[in-house]
Amino acid sequence: MEKSDLSHHILSRYNDDLERVRTNVLQMGGFVEEQLKLAVQALVQGDSRLGEQVAHGDQKVNAMEVAIDDDCSRILATRSPAASDLRLIVAVIKTITDLERIGDEAEKIGYIGSRLAAVERPADRYREIKHLGRLVGDMLHEALDAFARLDPIGAVAIAKKDRLIDEEYEAIQRQCITFMMEDPRTIRRALDVLWVARALERIGDHAKNVCEYVVYMVHGKDIRHLSMEDVEKHLQSRSSKSPEPPPAR
Amino acid sequence: MKKVFSTFSPSGWQSVSRLGIALIVALLIGLMAGRVALALAITFGIYSLVQLWNVLRLEFWLRHRRVESPPDISGVWGEVVTIISRIYRRKQYHRARVTGLLREFRRLTTALPEGAVLLGPEHEILWFNRLAGEWLRLRRKRDVGIRIENLVRHPAFVEYLKTGYPTEGALVQDLESDRWLAFNIVRTGTAERQLLMVRDVSEEQQLQSMRKDFVANASHELRSPLTVISGYLDALADDDNLDPTWNTPVLEMRRQAERMRTIIKDLLELSKLESGEHTQGEHPVDMAGMLALLRKEVMALDQHPRDVRLLLESDVLLKGVESELHSVASNLISNAVKYTPPEGEIELRWWVDEAGAHLSVRDTGVGIAEEHIPRLTERFYRVDPGRARSMGGSGLGLAIVKHALQRHDATLQVQSKEGVGSTFTCHFPRSRIIPRSAGALATA
Repeated sequence: MEKSDLSHHILSRYNDDLERVRTNVLQMGGFVEEQLKLAVQALVQGDSRLGEQVAHGDQKVNAMEVAIDDDCSRILATRSPAASDLRLIVAVIKTITDLERIGDEAEKIGYIGSRLAAVERPADRYREIKHLGRLVGDMLHEALDAFARLDPIGAVAIAKKDRLIDEEYEAIQRQCITFMMEDPRTIRRALDVLWVARALERIGDHAKNVCEYVVYMVHGKDIRHLSMEDVEKHLQSRSSKSPEPPPAR
Repeated sequence: MKKVFSTFSPSGWQSVSRLGIALIVALLIGLMAGRVALALAITFGIYSLVQLWNVLRLEFWLRHRRVESPPDISGVWGEVVTIISRIYRRKQYHRARVTGLLREFRRLTTALPEGAVLLGPEHEILWFNRLAGEWLRLRRKRDVGIRIENLVRHPAFVEYLKTGYPTEGALVQDLESDRWLAFNIVRTGTAERQLLMVRDVSEEQQLQSMRKDFVANASHELRSPLTVISGYLDALADDDNLDPTWNTPVLEMRRQAERMRTIIKDLLELSKLESGEHTQGEHPVDMAGMLALLRKEVMALDQHPRDVRLLLESDVLLKGVESELHSVASNLISNAVKYTPPEGEIELRWWVDEAGAHLSVRDTGVGIAEEHIPRLTERFYRVDPGRARSMGGSGLGLAIVKHALQRHDATLQVQSKEGVGSTFTCHFPRSRIIPRSAGALATA
């Protein structure tokens, strides 16, 4: 009885450590989501103070990344995790890099937003950017949900949305080029808008990366640079073989 | 032993007497045949075989009692079967009742106009109702056991879950649906379980912001015409050619215009406080110095109380927005001055104890009747409408104090006795105290 109690204790501390890292990553993700939302809001509503606030918030994202990185190296050093625990740590280290980049892109959008607040706003009030921002925000949210639920099938479905975002980005690009050709005075603003669209598109790519890490974390399979259809087929065959995914917490 | 015998059931007696008769018969046959031992052994053998058979049937029935009907055994074993099946029936009845209650409860919670999530000690989701699942996009079954902060990741919500602040609950805007959700944690009996209530406050939020916008815009729009009016009134007052009979009306008009200006200023300040934006950053503020300055201002007034005593028992700094803290102190002090006769006294006290920092303003004025105290901080609430009008003031002072204090996690306490005086005390939490050496002074 005593013996089992002891082993339980050690195991649960280890579990707690892993659990905390996961929660911290998702917390960082939540903060980055908020940053993205506020950055787009600052641009669309022409709120320069909000834009500056977002640009400031990036420091917090960086601090979170450093803290989680520290936790990960401590777990690697003291617990020498194996198998799925090791995959979790590796996936976490990669995920926070992507989240930090998303934070950087949000900072960029916030900065451009605060600058564009002083410029005359276009007739469509940045409707296209708002739309793209919402698409990207949803994708990031769902990617983090898949991370929380350890849901590889959902993750692949989300990763496929990246194409939609790319198309949307191209549409904005074409629109901006048209504007610039029609009226050269809008070139400066159109270039800024292009930068924002580009940043949003990059955020979509980073969200896709997070989805890929979810698949790696659960199945130990690296699906980068594979076509999503192949991955889906592979996953479905796998999940029919092993219907019990590891319990998520 | 006697007691056991007396409590034997009829079927028990029956079994005992059957065994007795069988033994006597066996004994007689044995005596006749001259082989008593063999006859008794055969009897006992048959008896134990019968018993074994009965026990086996009982065991079979117990194992398959869901499909088999109870075996028809006479004697003690039959009695045992009856008792067991009675126990099962009772249990089944209770279970059916509990299941029915549970189903009813589920139906009720589903019909609840609010979302509810039951959380375990590690904030893991144990159960949630339909609305909570819809609003937080939780998946039935799949999400049970996952920590709530992993799925609901709004920074404000996570902060609330971790620290319990702000105490009135967290308010977040959902990213996808733009819904405003208010979260509240209710601690149930044991510390192991927490109930998270979720409310959709989008409509209230919209109404609130409309009202705030209206007040802000209206007061802003009122200010410009008022400036013109006061400008001409000032010019009229300085005009020597004006008929002297107009002197009093012009003076009165200037006084009322000034009062209107104060009201609009206070309304604007209140709407700014309510909008929830910290326009200025928080700095360490020297409250003791601020009180000393305010005292000087009071003593310089034409009409001031006999004495304003200053009890500064601590020199700690307070983390906050200086202009807001200043308006708290000056509003409380100007109220005290207004309601204290020239022969009265005012006492300003600033002190620190285990609970935090405190600022109190005590006066020996007219006092406030008990029934008015809870409503004092409502805007435009007047204890005595006639008197208040003659004294001037906007009726918004204490509302401003309340809101400014709320933004500093502080509370306002009012003690008063009619004819004796009132004490207004502000309680600031410990977390806002900064020792003097630690922070640079922000107050001049």
